[in-house]
Amino acid sequence: MEKSGKKEGAPKAAGTKVTRRSFLKGVGALGLGLAAAPSMDRLAFAQPKGPLKLSFWTWQNPQQHTWIQKRVKMFMEKNKGIQVDWQYFTFTDLGKKISVGYATGTAPEGFATGTWLMPTWLSRNMIAPMDIKRLGYSSLQNFMNDYPKAFVDGAVKDGKVYGYPVYVYGFLNYLNTNHFKEAKLDPEKDQPKTWEELGQVAKKLAIKKGNKFERQGFKFAMHAPMWTMVQFNPILLQCGGSWFDKSGKCTINSDAGVRAMTIRASIIRQYQAEDPADTIATSPLPMMDFLKERVSMFSTHCIPLPAVKSQNEKMAAEGYYRPVQMPGVDPNKRYPTAYGFNFVVNVNASKEKQEALHDLYRFIMSDLVDCWKDTGPFTPARKSGWADDPQVKNYPHIDEIIKARDNGALLPETPVFNELADIVHQAVQKVTLENADIKKALDEAAAQVDKATEEFKTKK
Amino acid sequence: MLTIGRAQISVSRWQLGYESRIKFWGIMFILPTVLFFLIFKYGPMIWAIYLSFTGYDIVTEPRYIGLSNYLSIFKDPIFLQALNNTLVYIVGSTMAITVLGLGLALLINTGIKASRFFMSSMFLTNIMPILAVCLVWRFLFHPHGLVNQFLSPLGLGRIDWLTNSSLALPAIMIVTAWRFAPYFMVVFLAGLLAVPKELYEAADIDGATSVSRFFRITLPMISPIVFFVVVVSALLCARIFLMPFIITGGGPGGATRVLSMLIYETGFSYLKMGRAAAISVILFLIMLVFTILQIRIFSKTEEY
Repeated sequence: MEKSGKKEGAPKAAGTKVTRRSFLKGVGALGLGLAAAPSMDRLAFAQPKGPLKLSFWTWQNPQQHTWIQKRVKMFMEKNKGIQVDWQYFTFTDLGKKISVGYATGTAPEGFATGTWLMPTWLSRNMIAPMDIKRLGYSSLQNFMNDYPKAFVDGAVKDGKVYGYPVYVYGFLNYLNTNHFKEAKLDPEKDQPKTWEELGQVAKKLAIKKGNKFERQGFKFAMHAPMWTMVQFNPILLQCGGSWFDKSGKCTINSDAGVRAMTIRASIIRQYQAEDPADTIATSPLPMMDFLKERVSMFSTHCIPLPAVKSQNEKMAAEGYYRPVQMPGVDPNKRYPTAYGFNFVVNVNASKEKQEALHDLYRFIMSDLVDCWKDTGPFTPARKSGWADDPQVKNYPHIDEIIKARDNGALLPETPVFNELADIVHQAVQKVTLENADIKKALDEAAAQVDKATEEFKTKK
Repeated sequence: MLTIGRAQISVSRWQLGYESRIKFWGIMFILPTVLFFLIFKYGPMIWAIYLSFTGYDIVTEPRYIGLSNYLSIFKDPIFLQALNNTLVYIVGSTMAITVLGLGLALLINTGIKASRFFMSSMFLTNIMPILAVCLVWRFLFHPHGLVNQFLSPLGLGRIDWLTNSSLALPAIMIVTAWRFAPYFMVVFLAGLLAVPKELYEAADIDGATSVSRFFRITLPMISPIVFFVVVVSALLCARIFLMPFIITGGGPGGATRVLSMLIYETGFSYLKMGRAAAISVILFLIMLVFTILQIRIFSKTEEY
């Protein structure tokens, strides 16, 4: 198409007589154009090109993937020569699907990835550096300034940008305010500020008959390793622990790690306000039990109103739920895990396709108010261009949502993230389901993580 | 006349004799299947064996590392646990499938009322989508699910089927037996119907009890079928993946992680294709043992 486009233009050019006046006019126009270019950073898009077929995969989320689909469709309407073969996969499957795609030569040219997987792709040179100018930024610094620092750090390596940030959000503690009132608790005043308080409040909220919970006070999601990591990460960090030391050795079996796991298990062991066997065996949706009012507090990413509506119309209409900050070990340092998604480009994609993907990504993220309208309260990664909009400002508890995003700690950056997540998930299962010795479970886990890291280094 | 591109080859012009023409067309007919097997079966198998001697992370070229993968996996507690789980699962499920399948076949063979209806309805378990089966059983095994409700009159209390490491694998064996036993029941039934009635008539005249009739006539006569069922179901169980993957995800704490799950995780989640290939070669060897057994049993069957 590009070639034929040039051919179509060629006779016109040949038939136009270039005079000195028209040449000077052209130079003048070019100068004006160049002068105006920086101020049009975000507005200028590449000219339509094609025919080009792009494959592009994203994660599944009813609000988010529908919005991305809408934007992709709009992009294709504007760029008639470009066809985007867009597919989405579940949150936990996407990374594996992409790995399989790389193994079989069927990986998409562009895809969305969880930020926690960036080291996995980067350490294996699977994704290509991006042209920030094509994304609308005049310099790397301008790009960095436009996103939360901790988040964008993971997308930048050796001064090159490898990920175009899409969303970033932090976990929150959702409270059922009716349950609080029933238990004679004030959701504002009595919201748990420390993990200890969380256990005590959860115990008051829980209703148990015999060996069966009619209502759990609080629960940790148990269905996927990724959720285990997101929920355990801030506890470990708040206890003064870390995932790895400077030499890369896994340190989750440190005293801080043991303390963190003790806190993690305390809701079951000490406060008996949670039934992990029930949690693991049910709920196709992690927050289902909260929305069905079978649990009074649940830690999750922001829950969009349509999700509440789809499960519990009464709760949505009466609004007897609210997000608050996650507890902390120190009540003054409450923070959750924050994570997000980047758009990236497959290193094997042709130059032409890489350029088209830049244009696609830039187009998708060019209207963040529209993004909020369709996908709020999921917060876009970019700092500017949406937070001041009245629709955003009027959203219930938006301050809590943005605070969780801005204060959130990122997941550990390691090329063996999937192994780490699986190993920690199993350790948590052993401790919470089998009442295993915490130190022993963490020692085993740390040894397995070290082995995985060693194998990665020696490329086994 | 055989036309390939511009060249026109006349088979008859080759002056092929009848025998040669038969051979020629025979080869031509089986060629697609042979090519299919070479490209899609043996090719990947040989490739996997090669990969098992390499370090391969999917993106960069495979790097030869000798026996490193094999040496390291036999020291790996996760692999040893998965190997143990696989063997326990094969033995347990095979026994359950065989005993249950044979029991059901004997029951149907007694000529109970509506036996055809029972046979058809039991066989339905085999044609139901595996995903639906797993999800339904997940709910049945819930701490407050139907299984525990049925068992409650026995005073067993709450049983955490899927979250107790001692019970999770047996729970998956129960699902396996539920799904596959009716299929093998049909196989057993075919064997039972082939036992000559005269033998039972003679035993009746001699005053044999039903137990001695079973152990002295039925079982010896259908022993090749029993061996067949044991070997085939063992092969089936060795490859099991979806049931533990969907029902327990390999948990709790790796208690239900079998080798095929470990291969998937190692290869596609941890990007260690060489190591995954080495584990798959070991699984292949386990299955090879059962296949050799099956071949031997069939040779004996002919003698029988």
